[in-house]
Amino acid sequence: MRSVTINPAKMCQPIGAMYALFGIHAAAPLVHGSQGCAAYPMRMFNRHFREPVQVAVSALGEDAAVFGGAENLVASIENVIARRHPDLIGVITTCLSETIGDDIEGAIRGGDFGKSKVIPIHTPSYVGSHVTGYDNALKSLVADLSGNSASEDGGEDRVNIIPGMINPGDVCEVKHILDLMRVPHTVISDISETLDAPLILPKPPFPEGGTSIDELVNSAKACGVISLCDHAGGTAAKFLSGKYGMTADSVCPVGVVNTDRFLDSLCNMTGVEVPYSLEKERGRLIDAMVDVHQYTYGKRAAIYGDPDISLAIAEFVSELGMDPVIISSSTASGKFLRRAKGITDGEILNGRDLYELQLAVEMVCPEILFGNTHCKLIADKEKLAFIRCGFPVSDRIGYQRHGITGYRGGIYLADLITNAILDRYGQHG
Amino acid sequence: MRQIAIYGKGGIGKSTTTQNLTAALSVMGKHILQIGCDPKADSTRMLMGGRRQASVLDALREVGAENVKLEDVMQIGFGGIKCVEAGGPEPGVGCAGRGIITAINLLEEDGAYTDDLDFVFYDVLGDVVCGGFAMPMREGKAREIYIVASGELMALYAANNICKGIVRFAERSGIRLGGIICNSRDVENELGLLTAFSSAIGTHLVHFIPRDKIVQRAEINKKTVIEYDPGSNQAEEYSKLAKSIIENDGFVIPTPITYEKLEELMIDFGAIE
Repeated sequence: MRSVTINPAKMCQPIGAMYALFGIHAAAPLVHGSQGCAAYPMRMFNRHFREPVQVAVSALGEDAAVFGGAENLVASIENVIARRHPDLIGVITTCLSETIGDDIEGAIRGGDFGKSKVIPIHTPSYVGSHVTGYDNALKSLVADLSGNSASEDGGEDRVNIIPGMINPGDVCEVKHILDLMRVPHTVISDISETLDAPLILPKPPFPEGGTSIDELVNSAKACGVISLCDHAGGTAAKFLSGKYGMTADSVCPVGVVNTDRFLDSLCNMTGVEVPYSLEKERGRLIDAMVDVHQYTYGKRAAIYGDPDISLAIAEFVSELGMDPVIISSSTASGKFLRRAKGITDGEILNGRDLYELQLAVEMVCPEILFGNTHCKLIADKEKLAFIRCGFPVSDRIGYQRHGITGYRGGIYLADLITNAILDRYGQHG
Repeated sequence: MRQIAIYGKGGIGKSTTTQNLTAALSVMGKHILQIGCDPKADSTRMLMGGRRQASVLDALREVGAENVKLEDVMQIGFGGIKCVEAGGPEPGVGCAGRGIITAINLLEEDGAYTDDLDFVFYDVLGDVVCGGFAMPMREGKAREIYIVASGELMALYAANNICKGIVRFAERSGIRLGGIICNSRDVENELGLLTAFSSAIGTHLVHFIPRDKIVQRAEINKKTVIEYDPGSNQAEEYSKLAKSIIENDGFVIPTPITYEKLEELMIDFGAIE
């Protein structure tokens, strides 16, 4: 194995935890680490979502590294409360605070923070990736808050949806499906409005939308939970099903079969039936796929993304008659490897860097590359049709607004793919 | 399940005492998990008949966190005691404290803490020098701390320091000091000194283990005294210690004393002049 990473394909855990907290209403992420741990991710969020986000940091310095960061932590929690009055503060740990073994739980338990809930989220950056960080954050949120206090009856027909690190547009599509199915739902970490907020003055202190604390508390009563990305939210789903006995499933609704599976899962959990309106959407997607089949058929695709997204896109491009010759995951995982082997006989890159992706591209010669902005250099160099997806996409506008989930998202993605092929290879594909 | 951490100055005989104690408890029919929290990874050597076992962090280094299996790092030693060594880096490199955190997290994930256990013992290296070595005292881990000491200034100095760590975590995590265990060095007035020290920091002397050459003989034979010579006086002493720990109900937040006070105490008992 190489002992150097060239052009890393993954980001660190705190980024995933911040992503998760942006979808909680009036929640403030507080990074317990040194300044850069908050400054650089914040820029990335700004450029991807084109939204202002606020990330607080306990600003650990040399002295805190030696003497422990508890004082900084408590002071910064108090500051965040005084300035922003959040409903919830997620304390996100970093390389430094994890390595010096700061007792976050202890520091929090010792303080009086009034109405603001303070939740510790352990995200040592050197373990896993941003995907792991999102997963840890969701687990901490549901473990700390679900079933916390008796609230009014009802809600037993609800389904919890844990989206994972997907775009506001993706979450909107999923909510659209749930509405058509008339399934009451709680999206746990719902960024659909918080990271696509309208500009109306005066600006509220926190964007509207997001999962409320009450919804998190009541998530205990739901009849089922579906994590759209098993690697980012699967642990929380397992926790909910283990503790409260609800059915848990994981399916990433990208493409025809995966969206069908998502609907099946909802039907099984709640007993509802698929309405005609959704059958029509499905029909439209099939029609769109037939329309472009002559361009997509037989095209060789390389896919890079977070494990669940990468697999789901690979399955969709297979449905389009394309051949996923490289499937690559940002995050190493045995589960990913097993599933990828079921989809392709080609190259599988399990948590490797973008340099390795480039080598694989040079060797296998795909025609189309799926990936985030960092993959653009590979696409340019190898002159591939390039479809932007994942996080971050910062060199084009609007990708975060449009979902690739559900049947309608499938139509959008099929169009994107075909137009990229037409742009690159001309009218005859 | 009672979770107990044993602290004390380096070289004081923590591992020897802990292994003889857990061996005595196992003879009484208790189910025990002993976790060595020391990069030297020699905390369970005598329970394992001298065999060195693969530490959690060795396994982590070789196969990666995802692939560490509990059966690879947990061996069954004398009396059915489940033995684990956290392990750690070579001297002078890396971060041993983080190693303890990583190892305990892995054990939790892999389900080492089963309901059938009566006791979990953490045998922790030397002083509480950083957050990592305080890990066993935190969040749902050990609720009882025992400190191994002897009638020497530095041993008591270390014990006093460890008490400062306990005070820090006591208010937040609910841990308590269960008492002092004296592993005798045969210095003059040792029992009196240790009793006085214990009461000065607000706790009690759980047991006074006399010095006996049989401990070294057993060690050379890679056995605990309990296994090597169960009929010996020393085995009886360890059994008494085990009983005192089973029956102990004196759990306190200690009141560490100043260095000057500690010196005075030593002078009173003629340990220093």
